[in-house]
Amino acid sequence: MKISTRLLLLFLLVAVLPLALFSYLNLQQDEATLRIEVLGRMSGLADKKAIQVRTYLAERKREVQIRARGSQVMNAIKTLPQGYAAGWRKPSYVREAARLHEYFGRYVEEYGLFHDVFLMTPQGEVIYSQKREADFATNLLSGPYSETSLAQAFREVLMTLEPVISGYGHYAPSQTSALFIAAPVMVDGKLKGVFAAQLGNDLFYRVATDATGLGLSGEAIFAQRDGDDVVFTTPLRYRSEAPMRLRMNPQQSSSLPMLGALFGESGAGMKPDYRGKPVVAAWRYLPELGWGMVVKMDADEVFASIAQQRALMIEVVLGLMLFSGMLAYYFGRQISAPLEAMARTADEVARGSMDRRVDESAPGELGRFALAFNRMAENLQGLYGTLEQRIEQRTRDLQVTIAQLHEEIIGREQVEADLRDNRDRLNEAQRLGQLGSWELNLLSGDLHWSDEIYRMFELDHGQFAPSYGNFLGVIHPDDRDKVSRAYAQSLVDRQEYDVEHRLLMADGRIKWVRERCSSEFDESGKPLRSMGAVQDITGQKLIEDRQRVAAVAFETHEGIMITDANANIIRVNHAFQKITGYAADDVLGKNPRILSSGVHDKVFYAAMWQQLIDEGSWSGEILDKRKSGEIYPKWLTISAVKDEVGKVSEYVAIFSDISARKKAEEEIRNLAFYDTLTRLPNRRLLLERMSLALTASMRNQHYGAVMFLDMDRFKTLNDTMGHDYGDLLLIEVAQRIRSCVREVDTVARMGGDEFVILVEGIDSIAEEASQRAAQIAEKIRSSLTTAYQLKDRLYHSSPSIGVCLYRGNEESVDALLKHADMAMYQAKESGRNTVRFFDPQMQHAVETRAALEADLRYAVFNGQLRLHYQIQVDDEHRALGAEVLVRWVHPTRGMVSPAQFIPVAEESSLILEVGHWVLETACRQLAAWSKSELTRHLNIAVNVSAQQFKLVDFVDRVMAVLRTFDVDASRLKLELTEGVVLNDVTDVVAKMYALKSLGVRLSMDDFGTGYSSLAYLKQLPLDQLKIDQSFVRDITTDPNDAVMVKTIIGMAHNFRLDVIAEGVETEGQLAFLKQHGCRAFQGYLFSKPVPIDEFEKLLLAGGDA
Amino acid sequence: MMQYRRFLLFITPVLALLIFLVWQYRVADQAVVRIGVLHSLTGTMALSEAPLVDAVRLAVEETNETGGVNGAQIEMIVSDCRSDAGYCAEQAEKLIVQHKVQALFGCWTSACRKAVKTVVEKHHHLLFYPVQYEGLEQSPNIIYTGAAPNQQIIPMVSWAMQQHGRSAYLIGSDYVFPRTANSIVKKLLVVKGGQLVAERYVPLGEQNFDTIAGEIAAQPPDFVLNTLNGDSNLYFFRALRKAGIRPENIPVFSTSIAEAELAAIGPERVAGHYAAWNYFQSVDSIENRAFVERFRQRFGSRRVLDDPMEAAYIGVHLWVNALRSTGTTDINSLKIALGRQTLNAPEGIVAVDAETQHLWKPVRIGRAQADGQFDIVWQSGRSVAPAPFPFFIPHAERVVMAGGDK
Repeated sequence: MKISTRLLLLFLLVAVLPLALFSYLNLQQDEATLRIEVLGRMSGLADKKAIQVRTYLAERKREVQIRARGSQVMNAIKTLPQGYAAGWRKPSYVREAARLHEYFGRYVEEYGLFHDVFLMTPQGEVIYSQKREADFATNLLSGPYSETSLAQAFREVLMTLEPVISGYGHYAPSQTSALFIAAPVMVDGKLKGVFAAQLGNDLFYRVATDATGLGLSGEAIFAQRDGDDVVFTTPLRYRSEAPMRLRMNPQQSSSLPMLGALFGESGAGMKPDYRGKPVVAAWRYLPELGWGMVVKMDADEVFASIAQQRALMIEVVLGLMLFSGMLAYYFGRQISAPLEAMARTADEVARGSMDRRVDESAPGELGRFALAFNRMAENLQGLYGTLEQRIEQRTRDLQVTIAQLHEEIIGREQVEADLRDNRDRLNEAQRLGQLGSWELNLLSGDLHWSDEIYRMFELDHGQFAPSYGNFLGVIHPDDRDKVSRAYAQSLVDRQEYDVEHRLLMADGRIKWVRERCSSEFDESGKPLRSMGAVQDITGQKLIEDRQRVAAVAFETHEGIMITDANANIIRVNHAFQKITGYAADDVLGKNPRILSSGVHDKVFYAAMWQQLIDEGSWSGEILDKRKSGEIYPKWLTISAVKDEVGKVSEYVAIFSDISARKKAEEEIRNLAFYDTLTRLPNRRLLLERMSLALTASMRNQHYGAVMFLDMDRFKTLNDTMGHDYGDLLLIEVAQRIRSCVREVDTVARMGGDEFVILVEGIDSIAEEASQRAAQIAEKIRSSLTTAYQLKDRLYHSSPSIGVCLYRGNEESVDALLKHADMAMYQAKESGRNTVRFFDPQMQHAVETRAALEADLRYAVFNGQLRLHYQIQVDDEHRALGAEVLVRWVHPTRGMVSPAQFIPVAEESSLILEVGHWVLETACRQLAAWSKSELTRHLNIAVNVSAQQFKLVDFVDRVMAVLRTFDVDASRLKLELTEGVVLNDVTDVVAKMYALKSLGVRLSMDDFGTGYSSLAYLKQLPLDQLKIDQSFVRDITTDPNDAVMVKTIIGMAHNFRLDVIAEGVETEGQLAFLKQHGCRAFQGYLFSKPVPIDEFEKLLLAGGDA
Repeated sequence: MMQYRRFLLFITPVLALLIFLVWQYRVADQAVVRIGVLHSLTGTMALSEAPLVDAVRLAVEETNETGGVNGAQIEMIVSDCRSDAGYCAEQAEKLIVQHKVQALFGCWTSACRKAVKTVVEKHHHLLFYPVQYEGLEQSPNIIYTGAAPNQQIIPMVSWAMQQHGRSAYLIGSDYVFPRTANSIVKKLLVVKGGQLVAERYVPLGEQNFDTIAGEIAAQPPDFVLNTLNGDSNLYFFRALRKAGIRPENIPVFSTSIAEAELAAIGPERVAGHYAAWNYFQSVDSIENRAFVERFRQRFGSRRVLDDPMEAAYIGVHLWVNALRSTGTTDINSLKIALGRQTLNAPEGIVAVDAETQHLWKPVRIGRAQADGQFDIVWQSGRSVAPAPFPFFIPHAERVVMAGGDK
């Protein structure tokens, strides 16, 4: 194959094919991943949807449950049956029913949550219906509607006495499909009736079929089984008429994802839907309704991105293939042409034409290759000439080498003879004895070592020749000088020398040797010969060392006392003398008994001796007496020393004075387990005691109580009077709590102003225990409520106490504390200075509230809030303006009452956002109104919360909003409650004047319900007083309220304030108010709060609802 | 040729490596998931409890045949509780700590459940409890696959009062379940205007019922509510027959007699009396027929199935489905997934109620027949929501009842 063709194939193989393969695999992988992800997402959406529907139903069920237990229904069930029995057209029934009708009007008409509500007797008689459809006054057990879902729910309630959600089916009296929720009504522990509500279809369909997150083609569909058929229950995206009408037989429904759901399965996958189109679906079963649910999206939409990707990939791969093929072919040609030329030339050279050369002009490697080829051809030519010459030279070299080898063999024989001599002499020296010996001929310089020396120096005969150098090498480096000097000196003095020194072995071991040496001298004193002996004294040295260490160790900081076998003291160290105060002379020869404190009894010492005899040692803590008579603790270890035959020869007692350590331990224990300020147990110790208490309770089955206590407004005290006062209060509180409980109970401080009281073993009967716990908590509460004398000041405070009972260890310590804490918060919320018991429903309430807060936060920023306008009119029914009231329509909770969410907002400071939104929206409306003749004169009253008013820049904010919308400030009326103005007087008055100077009008809301004094009121630059609806309500029946209202109106006139009455509901109230000089009104008599478009219709209608 | 050989030399190890990697990927190691089964195989409760182990075994084997859970086979470790609650709790502790089981399936009596409850709560573990019980309990660590009071005893008493009259005689074994169940029933009687003739308790395992039978014959109630547990039932029904008490005159409504007990007592002794359950072997559905068939094929064609067995069986399947849907054994994810489970069970469609951890179940009342089966005389149309804390009992009383038992 030609190079160019091979390159082409290689390129395609190496570059394009893997690329194509990789892209294909990648795409496959993507598709699989996408499929898994989409199915996962669909499952998530299905779960979410199921929860949404469940929550909606659960809340409706809860509503029904609450109504069934509420006073309206309870009262009705007591009186209505008699009225009904007498005839439901008679006035006694009509009156009762009207009350109920008004009460349930809101649920049925206003919110649309329920289509209808019912009340049944236990015998099945429908004695009340809000809508009075054909089902009213029939009997659900025997009448014409005894087979409806309502009757079915009714029967199930009778059987189980639980609230029940009925099945879904056509309901003849309403001419539509319906779902019912029913709950038993109990009076004094007896079943007196059943309350039921029919769910409003429209709202329910909206919640169920909301397709958020399901793309362009997605939807949530619901169906139920009817025999073998599948019946769709909610409107479909592609068939809005579906509910209860679209029905599929088993053949039609066999491949539907819905089928799985209806059989209680949950899953996800790709299947055709009811239109036959392939969809990605997830299905779930809803036990509440017995429905199947399918959440789905068209497969086309889901996989659109993958189809696009695939087309793109094919195009790219084809393009790349073409491009790289052309490129490969071009480069192949470039390389192969010159190569072919060279191949031809080489062929000619091989055939003998040594002078042929190739063209060297090709670029790069090919050029170099050509050059090299030419040089190689030249070299080949030269090589023939030199070859002969080199063979001759090589033969000569070989002859010389053979001669040299001969000489070497002769030399080696000589050396071997010398070695034999040496060995003979060494054998002779060996006999000198066990000492190593050496001999140095100072004339010849010959040195000889005996075998023993080799052994001692651990040197190998063969490897080390005896030399002074080798000798020095073995000596410990620190001793080399000493040895050299000793030898040199002995030669000068002509004396023997005797020196001990160390040897350092190759592996780091040290040996001690004693070396002696004498030398011979000639007449002139010149040394001739030195002879020496070396003795290994390592063992001896070791013993000496140990003795020295023992002597030093004896004088340690621990006291040591040694007695003989008869327990007579024979030796003591300095530390002994220091610790005991006895000098050595005082105690030597005496019995150690003189040290004893007399605290321990005979048994103690007997046991000690017994152990000493049995085991040879004893150690423990013991109290002894110093010479001064002071008793102190020490840690003592006594060991018996035995001689070779195992008989005790001495006793060694070692001890240390541990009195300081004991003190430190005590201190550490206190620090770790007790609060430093109040000396009460801290959190750690409390937790320990609680877990012990729970175990104890499990054993004795007694109830105990955990109380969580928090001082009210403690922070204020700290902030205003300083921390030292705060600390004093805490100390006092701690003492008072302690005095209220038994010695065995635990009072602990958790930190800050929080205390926990653990009262154990109260009683084995639940009611008794809670009674007693309540008494104890109350005792603590009242004790902490009496005044505190803090240094020079008298201070008043109160606690909030949460109590939680426990028995056994069924609940964890953490859970108990959490429950008690929760109860404490409940106590705080219900006005402080209170005791509250933990109730599991409380926990539920806390969680519900948290959920509400999260939803509200979402609502505020996502426009779920609405403003409703309640008209304010003058005495001729002319519109003066409106008070705006905020409403919240939650997509699944439905209408959430302000009474429910405003407190939540106030607690979480969301109220600031809400307040600001209300102000803005109101001003935007004012701006809109200013453009029309009809509405230009109208005012809007906006409620201001205390938190909002407290904002430092509140006035600036109001001004900014007024400017933004370019509104006449005098049209804006801010309604302040007494709670708002009762705060910091100077600040409040300053802000109010600042608002006045902007032109804003100020009204006092709920006037009369608070405690504001007249004097205080006089300081405030108010424009208007608003009479609270609680006074207006009973104005015509309660003389006290009538007087109150008259007084308020009179006072307003005196201060030249406007006055407006809210909550006006009847003509009678209106007449009274008019008669006493009130000129402005607001209430249901004129209109309930309504959305803006309805409000404007109201204006057009002439202000009269 | 040379080149070709070199190419082979190069390509062979590469290919070998590739094949090895693919093989390695395919052959994931055969992991094992362990579960613990806690039932009494000896002692007074063995009669009722032993068959539950087979039900669990069937579910486990079915799961393993269909690929196990998340690539692992289930291995079951069976511990004999010896009809002793304290001992059972020790075994639970051992299964969790030593054997590292992923979930426990077991217990029958409430005493046993309460003992094991403290263990599973301590370890944040999971127990599937398969027996109807007295309610007033809700543990985050227990899935109750048997009936809550409103799914058995309350409808049963309601039906009995509807069909037979208002006066009731209560007889039960002396421990948690009968006492608490009867305190609920007594309140129910008040609610419905019924009448209590007498309330009697005997120790577990009691055999002498002559006095009781005599008392019932002397002051005949409209019906008897029987919460006896274990083999006492045998002696109780024998004594009733001896005293001449006939089901036509004074029917006995039992909470703890299912097909297994019926077989042990002798069906002819109980025929004509009633029991309420969520499941009877005679339930007529495709799923149930298949279930009975599978069970008999595995354990013998004469075996009977009953409610607690079915509840034990579906417990395993609920656990398996939840595991399969989460793909992990993380207990918290598993609990969330469990809260979403629905299942087409032999008894009908059941669903886990996430809030109470009990099941939505259909309710049935059956009349015992001489052939050892029950004739279903009443059933709820749909699955009934579980209510472990009865609505008709005020909150404060429930607290006292839940805490006041011994």
